[in-house]
Amino acid sequence: MGGYWSGILSILAINVIFAYGIFLPVATGQLNLGGAGFQALGAYVAAYLSYNYDWPVGATLPLAILVAGVVGFLVAFPILRLRGVYLVLGTFAFAEVVAGLILNSETLGGAMGLPVPAFVDYGVPIVLAALVTLFVFFLMSTRFGLVMRAVHDDEVVSDLMGVDIRGVKVAAFAIGAGLCGLAGGLYAHTFTYVEIQAFNALVSINVLLFVLLGGTQTAFGPLFGAAFFTLLPEALRILLPDLQQAVASLFGIKGEVRAPDDSWRFVILGLVTVLMMVFRPEGLVTRPLTEKLRPRRRARLAGGEVAA
Amino acid sequence: MLLLQQLVNSVMLGSVYVTVAVAFTLTIGILNFLNFTIPTLFMLAGMIGWALAERGLPFGLSGPLPWPLALLVAVAVAILASLVVERFTFRYLKARYGDATEHAIPLVSSLGFLLIIENLVRIAYGTDSQRFPGPEANLTVEIGGLFVRLPQIVSLVAVLAIVAALSLLLKRSRIGRGLRAIAENPDAATILGVDVNRIVPVVFVLTGLLCGLAGVLFAINYGEVSPAMGDDVGTKAIAGMVVGGLGSIWGAVAGGLIVGLTETMTINYFGADTVQVAVWGLLLLVLFVRPQGLFGHNAIGKGKL
Amino acid sequence: MTAPILSLDGVSKSFGGLDVISNVGFDVAAGGRTALIGPNGAGKTTLFNLIFGVYRQDSGAIRLEGRDISTVPSRRRIGLGMARSFQNIRLMPHLSVIENIMLGQQARANGLGAMLTPLSLFGRTKWRVEAEALLASMGLGTYPCEVVATLPYGIRKKIEVVRALAASPKLLLLDEPAAGLNPSETANLRDFLVEIADGGVTLLVVEHDMGFVRSLCDHAVVLNFGRKIYDGPTARVQDDPDVLEAYLGPRHAPAAAGEGAHAA
Repeated sequence: MGGYWSGILSILAINVIFAYGIFLPVATGQLNLGGAGFQALGAYVAAYLSYNYDWPVGATLPLAILVAGVVGFLVAFPILRLRGVYLVLGTFAFAEVVAGLILNSETLGGAMGLPVPAFVDYGVPIVLAALVTLFVFFLMSTRFGLVMRAVHDDEVVSDLMGVDIRGVKVAAFAIGAGLCGLAGGLYAHTFTYVEIQAFNALVSINVLLFVLLGGTQTAFGPLFGAAFFTLLPEALRILLPDLQQAVASLFGIKGEVRAPDDSWRFVILGLVTVLMMVFRPEGLVTRPLTEKLRPRRRARLAGGEVAA
Repeated sequence: MLLLQQLVNSVMLGSVYVTVAVAFTLTIGILNFLNFTIPTLFMLAGMIGWALAERGLPFGLSGPLPWPLALLVAVAVAILASLVVERFTFRYLKARYGDATEHAIPLVSSLGFLLIIENLVRIAYGTDSQRFPGPEANLTVEIGGLFVRLPQIVSLVAVLAIVAALSLLLKRSRIGRGLRAIAENPDAATILGVDVNRIVPVVFVLTGLLCGLAGVLFAINYGEVSPAMGDDVGTKAIAGMVVGGLGSIWGAVAGGLIVGLTETMTINYFGADTVQVAVWGLLLLVLFVRPQGLFGHNAIGKGKL
Repeated sequence: MTAPILSLDGVSKSFGGLDVISNVGFDVAAGGRTALIGPNGAGKTTLFNLIFGVYRQDSGAIRLEGRDISTVPSRRRIGLGMARSFQNIRLMPHLSVIENIMLGQQARANGLGAMLTPLSLFGRTKWRVEAEALLASMGLGTYPCEVVATLPYGIRKKIEVVRALAASPKLLLLDEPAAGLNPSETANLRDFLVEIADGGVTLLVVEHDMGFVRSLCDHAVVLNFGRKIYDGPTARVQDDPDVLEAYLGPRHAPAAAGEGAHAA
């Protein structure tokens, strides 16, 4: 496998883990627009330990999860008191504060960033992404997963049913934060360099969009969302040059235009977002969809038996 | 005297934040909608203004336009873009089951528009900062030993006039009453005969107007525009809105000025890199301690998003 | 007369200066079937919300089996042995039928072990088996995996009752369980509730359908404008002048009472 594809596999795996980290709070109805903050925490923990103490990946990643998870747990108490717009703003502000603190920290390299000596190839992220996926599917099949979705639908009734709303929200938020930390740690070891500019507001927005567009009702959603929006730009890479030239001439610009490669990817992501919100706001994969697919599979089996 | 000069500078900086913060607070107060396209509209106005003044109309239809005309067109473009956003966020919005995250639909849609507009501008004009060929920005007057640049004074006066007019519009006019009825309760407003579908675009026209003006003022005052100019101003404006209290116009004015002051003072005493921590830390503090801000009502934005 | 399972004593609640419940007190006999009736806006649902701690009463005591539960947080009240349904269907729209029922079991399943056991990943757990049996007993066995939002009204209404039952309550409070059901569904519901009551569950039912109330409940409490105006056998509700006045207005009261007496 070439370096290009192994790179894409690594990014895909990291994005899947990251998306699950945001999915857990969103599944309880809490929009988390601070994903980049938790990812940055994990990335810098891994980078710091690898750079200064030469810790192996097997030790940096658990600590990345732990630190991000504990911070998530601690900020969850004040932050989850906020609701609606206030919660979105609170999580957003949290990520900005984290980025600002890292930027001002000399031990973490400030604006320069930190090199990460330990490199991991695509194998580690892929295996971890698979494990995280299994973990989230398991979690959603438990009573904890059930009450998470119940809290999402109706907090008042969930409370009357005996659900510890605060506990469920905090747990989902903290576990999600830990997963974001893991995604950050893997990011550090994959790109062997961390700088705080890589964990900006746009990153938080993107990962939230992966999750919301994939669908928040089942654990399939983030998997589809992250995969779709990671692989789509690669497909576009082949088609884009012509398209780009056409748009440039539309704006009255002649000659060769060198636009950053990422821009089109974001335009497409934005377009898909707007169209999805118009036609299918509940996301790609929904509960009725997965339930519909289930009996159909059975029916097909039954049909086969009859034919035999 | 140095401190006073700093104060003057921060008021000037704050007036840009104020304009954008008022746009934010208007959409949240009336529609309970955190519109993430607002910083992008601000940037769009600045970039279109620059492109027209520097390059002229697209398709080579004209040479460079005089800058006042370019800026006028830029504001119009921002208003149009804002109406496009309205068309695809609110028109199609039908809350399906009324649970927690499905009410985030317009917010998510606006995030989509943020990506679209900002990146189209990057594709069309590149990512670099551009010098805006506006009026001489160095026209300085000295008032009692304080140096104030003329365009800044004009901007500040213009901003305050606009906000006062807006606040009067909301209080006195028929449209204003309709808007406030929607803010109280959209369903009841419909029953009372307010045509929600016709009056909601008014909010977006005002949003586009405010953002367009802010972008134009920014271009004139700082003589520089870039596709990233909305990010910083947008986040500071959000901070200003939260400090002032969601949904309160005069709160946004005060909040924008406070944020401008915080920024100037932080830079002065601790250096530029600490601004982010100071402004966002202030915002988090306000959210935790007094979520309704200095002037806001407790009810707005608290409900399910 | 058995000891009351639930007793309210001088309960009052006002919202923004408006008295919604004024000094209401009555007992619900253990094992009995009590109806709580009254015109719209009389405060019946508010009373349910006070009993379950959605709001705190301003004054007065609410006792369950002799214990004042006023300070018990809303989340813990279901664990004391009472469960309720809601007037407007409050099922979780994105959960399947069986998941809604299993949510009803929540009060009996707190604790880390119960929370982290998969409900139906590796075969059927006892929770799932129990929930399916409960659904089947109500004649809803064919729907377990449907997502609730896609189901018709009458079925969702029934699922609400089953969900409340899933908590294995001693006292079941139902808020207009028959509203919107057709006559045969109403009859089914009545038979089902009688069966539950015979099994030892005390019922407190808010309902407008007087035929349903008469055929199900032996005792009735009538509220009007937040005050208790009647507390006695269901059979004599219609003869009570206060009740008739509340429903029909003051001028009709004597005549209607006369008619009632005549018919009797």
